[in-house]
Amino acid sequence: MEYLYGIVIIVGLYVVLATSFNLIIGYGGLVSIAHPVFFALGAYASALLSRDVGIPVLLAMIAGMLVAVVASIAMALPSLRVSGDYLLIASIGFQLGVLEVIKNLRFTGGPGGFTNIPPFLIRDFGRESYVVLVLAVTLAVILLVRWIARSDYGRAMSAMRDDELAFASVGRDAMWMKIAIFGLGSGLAGLAGALYAHYFRFIAPEQFEILQSAAILTMVVVGGLRTTWGPVVGALLLQALPQALTFLQLPPSVLGPIQGLLFTGLVLVFMFFRPQGLVAAEDVWRGASSRVRKTGEAT
Amino acid sequence: MANVLEVRGLNKSFDGIVVARDIDLTLQSGRIVGLIGPNGAGKTSLFNLISGVVKPDSGTVLLEDAPLDELKFHERVRRGLSRTWQHIRLFPSLPVLDNLLVGTHDYPGERLVNVLFGRGRLQEHDKIAREKATDILGRMGLARVADALVSDLPYGQQKLVGVARTLMGDAKCLLLDEPMAGVEGQSYAAMQRVVREVADRGVSVCVVEHNVAFIRDLCDEGVFMFSGTIMARGSVADLTRDPQLTELYFGH
Repeated sequence: MEYLYGIVIIVGLYVVLATSFNLIIGYGGLVSIAHPVFFALGAYASALLSRDVGIPVLLAMIAGMLVAVVASIAMALPSLRVSGDYLLIASIGFQLGVLEVIKNLRFTGGPGGFTNIPPFLIRDFGRESYVVLVLAVTLAVILLVRWIARSDYGRAMSAMRDDELAFASVGRDAMWMKIAIFGLGSGLAGLAGALYAHYFRFIAPEQFEILQSAAILTMVVVGGLRTTWGPVVGALLLQALPQALTFLQLPPSVLGPIQGLLFTGLVLVFMFFRPQGLVAAEDVWRGASSRVRKTGEAT
Repeated sequence: MANVLEVRGLNKSFDGIVVARDIDLTLQSGRIVGLIGPNGAGKTSLFNLISGVVKPDSGTVLLEDAPLDELKFHERVRRGLSRTWQHIRLFPSLPVLDNLLVGTHDYPGERLVNVLFGRGRLQEHDKIAREKATDILGRMGLARVADALVSDLPYGQQKLVGVARTLMGDAKCLLLDEPMAGVEGQSYAAMQRVVREVADRGVSVCVVEHNVAFIRDLCDEGVFMFSGTIMARGSVADLTRDPQLTELYFGH
């Protein structure tokens, strides 16, 4: 059972990562590869604060999320002031740089990893309670992103993606909207990191490498950008595939490269044959309050 | 009559090509000024400089006596300096009504904090904004297409939506860049009527337009631009009769 719980939690957290990344790259149109590093910052901050500072785990988790929010805004602010394109470059530097810092500091455990992270809920209520917590958070994140996308804010995000200059011509500042989207999306990744840390109780820099960024991007693209269920389907599929591969009982030296090939291959196949992903998004923004959505009338 | 917009000594050149040379221009409340001149005279560039899309090399822009020079484009729009685009620039993934709703300033529902924590007070604001948008669409003869996608509309109606969107923001000064290019029939009459109505409510309007009939019928005054310079200002009839200007307009 413990093996199964572990898989459910991993899949749930990847749904959170893919859904929050969909908010950033899909709805926000912001290209960044730094999602795993905010996952890491949430995990490390929460682990450090609870183990070494002695803050209660729940508060440490919230703090971990806030650290990811603050770090993401600090990273995005200077680059978005120049132009949206610079965010990608800044995110590459940030992803690689922060992990190097984590590897070289003593109090983070360096490359060997951070051990003995205090558990949460498990001792008092059993592992099942943690599974329920993760699934509840996962569902909440899915619904939150869906709600934002269909709200008036979602309409403004659509307008901003359509034409930034036109968006400015109605008196709106695209920069602050991008920062809000990026901060929220990265904060959710931080929350996923905190939840990861207090279940598995061991984190190491290698778990948050740039390859994870490719995996999350693959989940969103294969599942379907700008859809509620696309990232969910993508995360399930891409977590299930490697698990299924392990049953083939191939030697680890073969298994690793095969997984890498699988991710890259999937992205290429989808780019060519189904760029909209498994779950296709509507071309048109249809808000919760839109008359068209309510009456189902075709335009 | 009160000066709404005042431009003083505006200069701009790109790699030695002058697009604005010592431009002085004032626009008054309730008056429509037509900006005419041949292609490349610097009319759209002047709009870009005034609205803050492009930074001038020197000179100043004042809106109701307050300098705008330090403000970015979107901040100038919030102050009441609004503009449309030659190539419309609507939001193609939004229906017509929503294109207008995005044009509302200070829409509380578009602040993430309010979406997350303050649903109640949004509804009242949403109702007011929707009523205003519906009213504007009605006056422009677009009520029937409120739920249509903008990209499904004929070009002329898209131009109207572009003007309608700027009216959501209570502009004090409105710069219209070729509102009539490609507009025919009913949309033509609707555009003329709406622009006149806007001016009658005290907004100062400046129109760049090649359609001389439109300028003559609508504008209280004309300004003739050539090669980045304002050559003359006066009644449209006088400007179009001036043989020197006609020669500049049509070339040799």
